[in-house]
Parts: sequence; C-alpha cells; structure tokens
Amino acid sequence: EDALLPAPQNISILSINMKHFLSWSPVIIQGETVRYSVEFQGEYERDYVNESWIPICECSLTTATVCNITEDISATVAYNLRVRADIGTRRSEWGTLKGFFNRITTSLTPPLMKVIADGYHLLVELEDMGPAFQFCVFYWKKGQESRVQQKVVKEASSVVHLDTMEAGPDYCVKAQTYVEAINRSSSFSQTQCVRAQGGTSMCL
Amino acid sequence: TAGNRIFHFGHCRVSMSMTEIRLGFTAIKANIQARDPVRTVSILSHPHSLHKFKSSDRCCIAHHLFNFYVDKVFKHCKTEDSYINRKISSIANSFLSMKRKLRQCHEQNKCMCGEESTEKFKQILANYDGLNVTSAAMKSLGELDILLDWME
Repeated sequence: EDALLPAPQNISILSINMKHFLSWSPVIIQGETVRYSVEFQGEYERDYVNESWIPICECSLTTATVCNITEDISATVAYNLRVRADIGTRRSEWGTLKGFFNRITTSLTPPLMKVIADGYHLLVELEDMGPAFQFCVFYWKKGQESRVQQKVVKEASSVVHLDTMEAGPDYCVKAQTYVEAINRSSSFSQTQCVRAQGGTSMCL
Repeated sequence: TAGNRIFHFGHCRVSMSMTEIRLGFTAIKANIQARDPVRTVSILSHPHSLHKFKSSDRCCIAHHLFNFYVDKVFKHCKTEDSYINRKISSIANSFLSMKRKLRQCHEQNKCMCGEESTEKFKQILANYDGLNVTSAAMKSLGELDILLDWME
C-alpha cells in the first residue's frame, strides 16, 4: 500500500492590513508534483454546524504553498485553518494551524501619504488600502503643535483638501489608518511639511 | 465605506459593521432567492412588517432575530455551490459576532420585550415552522435584506 504522504508542516498566517495569507512548508517527494488543499472553519461552523470545514476552491489541489484567505476571513471571530497534500490518489493527513486566527490581530502599517502644496492649498494624497480602511489625517502649522487639526477620510480615492495656507510658515501633516471592523488604528506615517508657494521641506 | 456604525436599539447601543454582511448577501441574493419556490409566503413580513414593531422593543426583536438566524437558519442553507457556502459562512460568522454584542445589552436588561412584540416574533417562528426546514431556511436567508433594511 502507498506510504501515507506527510502532512504539511510550518503552517502559519501572514496578515497585514486586513489581507490574510496562509502558508506552509512544501512536502518534498522526489520526482513527484505535490498538490495542496486548504479548508477553513469559523466559529459558527465550530459551534453550530458540527465543526464542519469549508474548502477554499482557489486553493484546492494547488501546487502553491501559500493561499490568500482574505475573502473567507470576513468576520471578527476565531477561525481554524488546515492544509493537506495530495499526489494522485495518495493523500496526507490534515495539517492544522496551531491556534486560531482572528483578523483583529492583523498588522496595520502607516499609510503611504503624499502632501502637496498647490499654491495656498494644502492637499494630501493617500494610498487606497481597500474598503475596510479609513484615515485620520492630522495637520498643523509648524511651531503650533498644540493646535493640531484632524480630518477623517473615509475613502482614499482622491486628493483631499486639508486647508488654505498662509504664506510663510510650514504646514505639517501626518496620518494613520483606522479599521472600523476591528476597531483598531495603525501607527502614524512620517510627518511631511510643506510651505505655500510650493516651498517643500521634509521633516525627519 | 467601512460601515461600522453605532446602532441604537432603544437603550441598547451597539457598534456593528453591516457592510461586509451586505456585500456577502448581495453576492448570493439572486441565487438564494431563486431556490425559494414559495413566493406567496414571507417569513419576516407576514402578517406584520418588522417596521410595525414598537421602537422600545427594537433591541429585543433584533436579539431574537439574530438568534433565529444563527440557531435556525444558516445551518440549513448548505448548497452544492462552494462559493455560496463560503458567503453564507461569512454572513453567519458576522451574525455570531453581532449576536454576542447584542447579548451584552440583553444581560444588562436593555433588551426588554413587550407582549405585543413577543407575539409578533412568535408569528415569525410560526411562519418558519409552517414550511419544511430547508425551504424555510432558504426563504429566511433570501429575506435577509428585509432585516438589514430594518436595522439600518
């Protein structure tokens, strides 16, 4: 009888900015092409549907050793994930992620941001990070750090007008992301300062 | 937008994100409703629209309806279509998350149900029990937007 295939090992999640990827070490069988299949189980399946598992068809019989599970991790509950290997009719046991994964633990990075002085207008351009993201933009006149103003940007699709500047002083801007679904914010981006009439100085 | 909002159910204030549920339901609505052969009957809206419930009972009704969907509906909606099943899982797990939030209000007695609303909710259960379980579950799932509209 064929030797049982070893189950995939080193199963882990990489979750950054609400994008979640499951990865594992390849199962090496000389001269063979190993394929993998991934399944997930939410808290609902565990508690209400007899601990059933749901296959992710984009990662069924794939030769890749990573699977984008973002679409399926779409609730803020604890998920189980598992992977198995196949070669033709030979099949491994399931390798299961150690511990649950909850998207509340995703790593949130500061947003990419570009501050623009368009004449006397203080503008900011923010990276579009997807529908789950909002941005808190803080801006102030350099030297008046106690009088910081804030603007919440719900969608990063276009340039945002922050203020009309006076000639002379620098205006500084920093931003952070906010994800309502998990009620968490990123750390701040680097501060950028500009001056009306197109004068730009970069604050470290 | 991200869609997390503070919902006011009487004295109960709960922060919920409806966007993902809406997106998930919109993606499967046509398919699910096409599986519902009995168009003349409604689970949620017969004979009383959800909008007829007294506002003071909103929390209680929402609490009951979340329990209804989690305990009775989603588990009987498995299909042969993996994509549909994945979306149902997404909605079900989101409902579970929200049910937990509403339970906090229930435990703080902010979710009292008047007699009238209790009777109306019994009617919903009677509507559900009047069909075979799979048809009733599929119909209830197909009517999810009635609940979402009422909540919003």
